[in-house]
Amino acid sequence: MRLLSQAATALAALAMGATAMGATTAVANPYEKYEGTTIVVSWPTNNHFKVAETLVDEFTEETGIEVEIDYLQYLKLRDRQLLEMSKSDGEYDVVAWVVMWKGEYVNKGLLTPLSEMYTNAGLVDPDYDIDDIADAYLQNGGIVGGEKGYLPGKSGGLYGIPFGAETSILAYRKDILDEHGIAVPQTYDELAAAMTKLHEAGVPALTSRGATGHQVTAAWLFHLAPMGGRIFDDKWNPVVNSPEAVKAAEFLRHVAKTGPTGISSYGFGDATTAFLQGDAAFWLDSLKIAALSRDESRSKVNGKVGYALHPTDVRCGSETGGFAMGIPANSKHKEAAFLFIQWMTSKAADQRVVELGGDPIRISTLELNPKDFPEYPVVAEQLDCADPDWRPLIPEWNELNVDVLGQALTQVITTDDPVQPIMDEANEKIRAIMEREGYYVWQ
Amino acid sequence: MPTTAAKPRWEPGTLTPYAFVAPAAILMATGLLYPVFMAFYLSFFDWEIGRDLGDANTVGFSHFLRMVQDPQVWEVLWVTIRFGFWVITLEMVLGISLALLLEKPIRGASIFRTIFILPLMVSPVVVGLIWRYLFDARAGWINYYLNAWFGMEPLVWLGDPELAFFAIVFTDIWQWTPFIFIIIIAGLQALSSEVIEASEIDGANWWQQIFLVKLPMIKSIIIIALLMRLIDVFRGLEVMLIMTGGGPGRSTELLSLHIYKRAFETQQLGYASAIAVLLILVVFGLSLLILKMSNPMKTKSDV
Repeated sequence: MRLLSQAATALAALAMGATAMGATTAVANPYEKYEGTTIVVSWPTNNHFKVAETLVDEFTEETGIEVEIDYLQYLKLRDRQLLEMSKSDGEYDVVAWVVMWKGEYVNKGLLTPLSEMYTNAGLVDPDYDIDDIADAYLQNGGIVGGEKGYLPGKSGGLYGIPFGAETSILAYRKDILDEHGIAVPQTYDELAAAMTKLHEAGVPALTSRGATGHQVTAAWLFHLAPMGGRIFDDKWNPVVNSPEAVKAAEFLRHVAKTGPTGISSYGFGDATTAFLQGDAAFWLDSLKIAALSRDESRSKVNGKVGYALHPTDVRCGSETGGFAMGIPANSKHKEAAFLFIQWMTSKAADQRVVELGGDPIRISTLELNPKDFPEYPVVAEQLDCADPDWRPLIPEWNELNVDVLGQALTQVITTDDPVQPIMDEANEKIRAIMEREGYYVWQ
Repeated sequence: MPTTAAKPRWEPGTLTPYAFVAPAAILMATGLLYPVFMAFYLSFFDWEIGRDLGDANTVGFSHFLRMVQDPQVWEVLWVTIRFGFWVITLEMVLGISLALLLEKPIRGASIFRTIFILPLMVSPVVVGLIWRYLFDARAGWINYYLNAWFGMEPLVWLGDPELAFFAIVFTDIWQWTPFIFIIIIAGLQALSSEVIEASEIDGANWWQQIFLVKLPMIKSIIIIALLMRLIDVFRGLEVMLIMTGGGPGRSTELLSLHIYKRAFETQQLGYASAIAVLLILVVFGLSLLILKMSNPMKTKSDV
């Protein structure tokens, strides 16, 4: 199998070489003009971006464009990027943002619209095939200004290309499910029943984030969209106390009660460790778990994990998230930066990313590698129903997320208080914040 | 004495002290006064990182008005006060007791002293990480040994409001008791042996010697230690940020951590500055109160 994938790479490399050669005969090599330029890239320190470092060396070797990577922990990334991009003389030429920040960056005028680059024929690789990039990823990470400002739509523009993007899937321990005679759950009802059954048998069921603040809110949001809930209706009225939202909160309480010990203090890392150490039967979060569970240095469950679609309730709706890369408005090497982004997200590079252990963004890559990566067919199918509106990407979201929902949901999972009043109170707090920020001036 | 001719006011010599003080004064002004002033200034604006401060809206006193009505601010202030009360009380008792025990040249005292001050040398970030893993509900040592020795069910130390509060108090005591210890032991060793001998000759027993002679004599040192810990409690945030992130709920969110979260997680820099001003006022008020009750500068002459 390895042989096949190597052959595919070789072919892809050959194809790349052929196009490059074709280019040299007509004009000069598209990279020649920028040889020796140094671009500075702001990246998070997660697994995907760490393995992509090797790819960056290959980029420099091929193009002669030097790249300096500034790695920061992803939570610290935004402050730093905002600071650099708002200076008249910023340091960054490429920034990778968490999809949540895109609206803020564009709203503050900090990013270069990629249309500026796509109108320059000398820069655009004709074989790039942007349609091959998973639409859910491209819309979620790169398009800003559509419906509600953050959804796809005719008023939107392209500001970035997804890189290190992800969606949510269900991972389960094949051995545990077999042992207890549980079928792989396809709906939330089946999942809830399986969790109860495992808990009664003394097996921790579903691991989850749960620490106060954005972690516990993230956990709840995974369940909110499939259950038919939203944060706001079409007129920005908060609806976090709707029957659907309350049901999602009650499900989260069930998760905390039947899952591994200590969910109310778990961040993403703790939730991951619990699964990798074999202390949970289910995982319902980012697809990153697949690569992590294959890493023998961190995982005790390699080979025991199966993958399935994010369970449905009233609708299918996985989360999409992760990162996208774009160019700051104050970059001095925009063309080189564009060439870098284009190269890193090309078909050949996407294939290399996968070989290095990162996450692909292209449908063709997902289809090319089903044997080595059992989760890919699931991911490809999951992306069809990925929900771009699983939380609002508005500047106020941070406050709602951390201060209001992050507190209310902590109360949900750490107490036995009735859920409805907790969510009613949160709803009123959200309304007050939206009122303060002027969202109701059109009413 | 005959009339001493008044010295000319601006003789070069009179300026010399000012010249010596100047560097320190300038450093103070730039390093201390400027940030405080900026915090105060920012609290009148609605400003976010990524925008020019010049474009920010002036909001007058509305941040302060919002703060007074904000139940979250009062909640974290109450958490801070409770936290301060427990850690300072326990650290003072433990630190002073340890100092009194190890003051005598008993066998191995110097080894004990070195061991006791080790926690003080560890950076707060590392302390937070160490204790976070020790208290970990699933894989932490504390739960492991509680289970192995006492058969206890695992406790969710950092995910339960009361237990998490206990955990941060415990961690703070672990780290900062040595600070009290080291200051007090220095004070005790500076006491003149004549006084102690005199009290022995007068027939004071061990308790009387401690409570009527030694402790009153180092009162000013105790007050200074208390004051420093008090200010630290209001400034400290690293350990809580790493151990619990202020959670669950706001049960371990101290005032300074709240300010940090307001400023950097929810991006309300102006409002965060207003709360920072409150922090300065509270610490200032408490410090004045303690100094008024017992001013170490005044009593210095008594020692």
